[in-house]
Amino acid sequence: MENKALFEKLSSRLDELSNLPKLDDEKSISRLIEEKGFSRREFMGWAGAMTSMLMLPASFTPLVAKAAEMADRLPLVWLHMAECTGCSESLLRTATPSIDSLIFDYISLEYHETIMSAAGWQAEHNLESAMERYKGKYILMVEGGIPHGESDFYLTIGAHGKTGEKIAREASENAAAIFAIGTCSSFGGVQAAYPNPTNATALSNITNKSVINVPGCPPSESNIVGTLLHFILYGTLPALDAYNRPKWAYGLRIHDACERRGRFDAGEFVEQFGDDGAKNGYCLYKVGCKGPYTFNNCSKQRFNQGTSWPVQAGHGCMGCSEPDFWDKMGIVHEPLGNRLYHTVFGGLGSDATADKIGVGILTVTAVGIAAHAAISLIKKPKE
Amino acid sequence: MIKLIEKIEGEAKLNFNFKDNKIDFVDIEFMSTRNIENILKGKSAFDALVINPRVCGICGHAHLIATVEALESCYDNLQISNKAKSLRELTLNFELIQNHFKWFYLTMMPLFGHKQEVLKATYPSQLMGKAIALFGGQYPHTSYAVVGGVVCDITEMDIIKLQHYIEQTVKFVEDNLIKMESESFSTCKSVDNILKYEGDLPDILRQIKKEELLAYGKSYGRFISFGENSYFKKGKSLKTRVNNNIFIEHAKESETATSFAKNVSYKDKYYEVGPLARAMVNKNKLILDAHRKYGDSIFSRILARVSEISQLLKHSKKLIQKLDLNEPSYIEPCIDIKQFSSSGYSAVEAARGTLIHKVELENGFIKNYEIITPTQWNLSGGTREKQGVSQKAMIGLYDIKMAELVFKTFDVCSVCTTH
Ligand code: SF4
Ligand code: SF4
Repeated sequence: MENKALFEKLSSRLDELSNLPKLDDEKSISRLIEEKGFSRREFMGWAGAMTSMLMLPASFTPLVAKAAEMADRLPLVWLHMAECTGCSESLLRTATPSIDSLIFDYISLEYHETIMSAAGWQAEHNLESAMERYKGKYILMVEGGIPHGESDFYLTIGAHGKTGEKIAREASENAAAIFAIGTCSSFGGVQAAYPNPTNATALSNITNKSVINVPGCPPSESNIVGTLLHFILYGTLPALDAYNRPKWAYGLRIHDACERRGRFDAGEFVEQFGDDGAKNGYCLYKVGCKGPYTFNNCSKQRFNQGTSWPVQAGHGCMGCSEPDFWDKMGIVHEPLGNRLYHTVFGGLGSDATADKIGVGILTVTAVGIAAHAAISLIKKPKE
Repeated sequence: MIKLIEKIEGEAKLNFNFKDNKIDFVDIEFMSTRNIENILKGKSAFDALVINPRVCGICGHAHLIATVEALESCYDNLQISNKAKSLRELTLNFELIQNHFKWFYLTMMPLFGHKQEVLKATYPSQLMGKAIALFGGQYPHTSYAVVGGVVCDITEMDIIKLQHYIEQTVKFVEDNLIKMESESFSTCKSVDNILKYEGDLPDILRQIKKEELLAYGKSYGRFISFGENSYFKKGKSLKTRVNNNIFIEHAKESETATSFAKNVSYKDKYYEVGPLARAMVNKNKLILDAHRKYGDSIFSRILARVSEISQLLKHSKKLIQKLDLNEPSYIEPCIDIKQFSSSGYSAVEAARGTLIHKVELENGFIKNYEIITPTQWNLSGGTREKQGVSQKAMIGLYDIKMAELVFKTFDVCSVCTTH
């Protein structure tokens, strides 16, 4: 029953969208699909996968497919702030058979510095005119932390030499929805690591409008495309957690859906990279996996079109979708556990900073870990 | 007259000065910085393995490899298995390859008036991204290389998948980039031969000839390359005279007043780095032929970068054949990094050229960290008397569009430069 109501709600949202003019009459998704050598069936298969990722019942697949077809009704502005461009790179790697990249070719990307061919005056003009023309209608995606306050001059962009903060603020003003893509724009990111020399901060700190955070360093391509589809489908903000992350993607801890979880529960740990445990896929907790403290869907979605993810490759999760993971999650190859380690907080143990991590569930996790992992055995003494 | 500006990828600004209608000087400014080197100070040594790939999402893997090698160079007798070395080299190759594709299709083609074909750029770079992810878990920003080796334990299955990705990429090259066998392309010795073929690369090269742009983009003809592995050699080349005895201590950074990026010189001279430099140092026959005919022009620069794709694909296949999966992936270092103070450096070849990392450790913490990126070499903003490599290459041009083309043949990247 509930589903039926939702189905109707989403359908009427899509009908509304279909009344909007196409931004580019030349393009149609079915033509693109055909041109690129995909069948309608493959497209529907892709839509099915997206449907399950967005935690919708399989019967919603046609709606998701339709949402993809409507993707050219909503103009998209993508801004780069202080960052490494990794999120764009992640997006540029969307799936082969590249239906995700088709969507990407198809959406009306009004402004994206890396991909668009315009530069200089032309680029700045494109941005300004897109913001003007689609006032109140465009989707804003921001990549990168924002140098802020006294030192916002650490990022000046474009022909008029505006600061990043000013541009981001202006663009946020008239956006229909704002997504902070990646840990940088969500929480400040690597440039905000102690001592944060450029005063980098989260997008949400420079605008009063609501910002949906899609963190990860980088977020997987499916979380980026999923975010877009979700907005097209619902037209409203998704259910969010305490850090404004969509629950459909960040509702579970890495640890909850990890393929090595059985090993964890059985107390089977890799003690040292390269040991027999590593060869047999034991749990990576003792070599520094932060999966128990990290909310993200990497184990399900994986990266690079589902090829792999860090834990599969044998490296623990380092908590890249959590705020300030650089400073708060300890030394990369050591468990957070109860150990004392030198942090930028002056040698406090993780317990002292633990309350700053996760959403309070940590304590529960910590009990679980204490039960299974004998932390004192972490490393053999060396001379 | 100062003419503003043409923005490049990321945030850099070029101020063109004209005299008699020709460009007579170009000021290069980088207007952003993140100060990563300061962030590294005081952090635990291994944290650099997480932070440094984030210096750049475009060459993040080169930064990971440079970091791990810099840390490893702090040890006296560290053992790394051949398998781990080869895996690192393979993933680095894949990063270079995917980067060259994106540069050619996203940046170059539109500058020559062709339609920007995003999918042509993304398809092969996705394949190479997957190849990296097979070992590294994800791309960009993997952390699979650690001090002592790599963390992945790959199987025959992975190798089969990998070979498939490589074959698909080779096929893409042969179907699109240049319609000849990729192997023959990688060993071809003559430019004239290349020009006879069909494909996106020969099209562009022919266009350069037809539009009489062959003389554009010449600089000092001075090349340098520090990253050594089983394919690349280290050395400098003055025109075609190669000297392999070069020392990292002579590579120096200096601050500039107008820009957040520092200049880099070797023994006080500016050098070009990147695929053209590598090919000159490696004495690659095809590129020597291009250089003999057209010097260090846009023609040679484009050909060097794109032909590296086929060379690296071929070399990667060789590396895979020699892999011994029975070797260990990781050999534990005999001293815990927490217990020592030492310093070290590394140099690797990233897509755009030599990347150098220097580190100083004190009781396992980072006391100092310096990063010199490829674009810093090519885009050093010198004075009128002593111009940087790309500055020099733009002198004498009549219009900004052409200067932009010349500038972008260096595959500039402000993202990692303004670390
Ligand atoms: S600790 Fe890490 S590797 Fe182990 S089960 Fe949890 S998420 Fe997986
Ligand atoms: S596994 Fe952890 S560190 Fe890796 S990408 Fe996912 S959240 Fe980030």
